[in-house]
Amino acid sequence: MAGETPRIALVLDATGAAAERHAQALGGFLRDGLRFSPEHPADAVTHLFYAEESARERLLALAPTRLVRLVRAPPHRPDLMAAALAAFAAGGGAELFVFGGPLGAESAARLAARSGGGVLTGVLDAVAAAGALSCRRHVSSHHLIGRFELRARPWCVTLDAGWLDAGFEPPAEHVVQASTELREDDSSAPRLCDDVEVFEPPATSDLEAAQFLVVAGRGAGGRAGVERIATAADRMGAAFGVTRPVVMNAWAAPDRQIGVSGTRAAPAVCIVAGSSGAPAFLWGVERAGFIVAVDTDEHSAMAGEADAVVLDDAVTVLEALADIVARERL
Amino acid sequence: MTALRIAVGFKVTPDYEALRPADWARAATGPSAHGEAVRYVRRVFNVFDEAALELALRLRDARTERGLETSLVAFSVAGREADPFLATLQALGYEGARVEPDADLDFAPATTAALVAAATRHLGGEVLLLGSRCGPGDTGLVPFLAAEALGRPSLPGVTAVEPAADRLRVTFSAGDQPLRATIAPPCVLAVGNALVSLLRVPTLKDRLATRDRVVTTLTPADLGVDVPAALSREPSALVGLETIDRSRAGVVVAGASPAEEARALYEEHLHARLERI
Ligand SMILES: Cc1cc2nc3c(=O)[nH]c(=O)nc-3n(C[C@H](O)[C@H](O)[C@H](O)COP(=O)(O)OP(=O)(O)OC[C@H]3O[C@@H](n4cnc5c(N)ncnc54)[C@H](O)[C@@H]3O)c2cc1C
Ligand SMILES: Nc1ncnc2c1ncn2[C@@H]1O[C@H](COP(=O)(O)O)[C@@H](O)[C@H]1O
Repeated sequence: MAGETPRIALVLDATGAAAERHAQALGGFLRDGLRFSPEHPADAVTHLFYAEESARERLLALAPTRLVRLVRAPPHRPDLMAAALAAFAAGGGAELFVFGGPLGAESAARLAARSGGGVLTGVLDAVAAAGALSCRRHVSSHHLIGRFELRARPWCVTLDAGWLDAGFEPPAEHVVQASTELREDDSSAPRLCDDVEVFEPPATSDLEAAQFLVVAGRGAGGRAGVERIATAADRMGAAFGVTRPVVMNAWAAPDRQIGVSGTRAAPAVCIVAGSSGAPAFLWGVERAGFIVAVDTDEHSAMAGEADAVVLDDAVTVLEALADIVARERL
Repeated sequence: MTALRIAVGFKVTPDYEALRPADWARAATGPSAHGEAVRYVRRVFNVFDEAALELALRLRDARTERGLETSLVAFSVAGREADPFLATLQALGYEGARVEPDADLDFAPATTAALVAAATRHLGGEVLLLGSRCGPGDTGLVPFLAAEALGRPSLPGVTAVEPAADRLRVTFSAGDQPLRATIAPPCVLAVGNALVSLLRVPTLKDRLATRDRVVTTLTPADLGVDVPAALSREPSALVGLETIDRSRAGVVVAGASPAEEARALYEEHLHARLERI
């Protein structure tokens, strides 16, 4: 099969939250993230897994490719999804599976294990050439990028969270190639639970949309310092986020966390006060138009990762700035 | 199910934050250079594994209060660098075991998962708690591949586990969606951003009492895993590493006092930009 152009399947898990963003990530990746050498592939097909019949038409409209295979599946059953895709792969249906959605990583892992294929998570970009898929992804807590090769097919990959912001218009029309339903007893693994309950709305956040963002790090010194920076942010009309240690010390609520295990923001202006700028944090603000660091240590990594640096106490500088901004702007 | 055995698989990793940019540049010169560059850095529990280890202790405590029997075993596929960590865990009430791999498994999630699954079978553990991901690979594949090898279901992003009669009440998250469910083991739980993130510290008394307890050492052969064969089937291969340039201008804003600095910052850098928002 080497040298042949692989057939591509996008796998959209729309049984859970945020189907629209995951659909955009898949579409954006297909458009910008995937290269083939020498030939480009023919049409890709989207396997769209959905749980509720009433949502079918709305979800179908999100599919990033024109060709769609609809699969109704019970929620929270990545094992069933993997079994269905393994059958599709075995029948020569596709050699590259790109997964999106909450159950993507587990489905990808289980599909690769069942079909003897390759698997990689968090892919930034991929090139298919000479019978291998070469992918780049973050490693070592975002300190480095690793280049990986997948040889055995099918190739099963999930995408870096950065693709969630790819921005992608789905095709205006879809062609449904097949429409099937998965039943629980098709499964090999036993059912884990049948009372999955959504007990909170999905974490939507003002931080993602914020144009002006202030972030407090451990350098704020404690709960009082964090609260003073939060007040200063509020006075300036800025959204307020924090680093992981601030959450872990219970100086701020978990939904305020910025970084790889929190929110990824994209403000025009971002002020980072009292954070050393570790890569796992910086990922959350690196798309900012302009970054200011306030840090007492001129050697902190954050100083080099900012456009402008104030080498002074985080709380004092932020309060002084809030006095000025509140007076001049509001 | 009254008695429950909980296994926790953990990894100790170099403290990546203790590395300087020059160390990372050296680490990026090749797949084997990575291990060299981080060799002498101090070791820490992988953050998610530390949370998993504490969650398991809390689950045991909560079950004990309800008169439910619980045993704990912690294991790592690792060299001797894991031994001090295993000693701490034994002082906290864990049985400790170490699987001595005869190869570098840093970028080998499938081989690691095969050993993790086999160790779980060998040591017992209807509940296998793992972390969501760990360095340097950060793939997050081990929990799912181990679940697949054990024929068990799994849950991602677990943040709390409580007893619910003889079952477990698990809070987890799929994507960004917080969920809760009652589950019946056997299962694999991958611990995510739990607020409980720090492992308790054993008392000196507990340390002394468990000082002479030995850590069970197992080889892949004991577990029936052929590591070279598994490595040859790894679903991906690391072929290179790159550093990431995140540098910006870093213009220092001057001023004799914080108020002056704030004034200069506003006038030179922020005023026009904030006007445009
Ligand atoms: C798997 C994983 C996921 C992670 N996810 C995230 C994440 O999503 N978000 C996140 O933030 N982190 C995350 N981290 C942690 C991350 O690696 C760093 O540990 C964390 O970002 C450090 O937080 P900090 O910069 O606030 O604290 P520190 O690193 O302690 O930095 C404090 C800074 O404050 C400065 N300072 C001290 N006193 C003052 C003062 N008076 N005024 C001004 N400055 C002062 C210091 O010079 C220093 O630069 C993750 C780590 C791992 C391993
Ligand atoms: N060498 C190892 N020994 C024991 N458990 C491991 C090992 N490597 C990974 N794990 C477990 O698998 C989880 C996810 O790791 P990974 O899939 O490699 O990102 C970790 O948080 C650990 O719980």
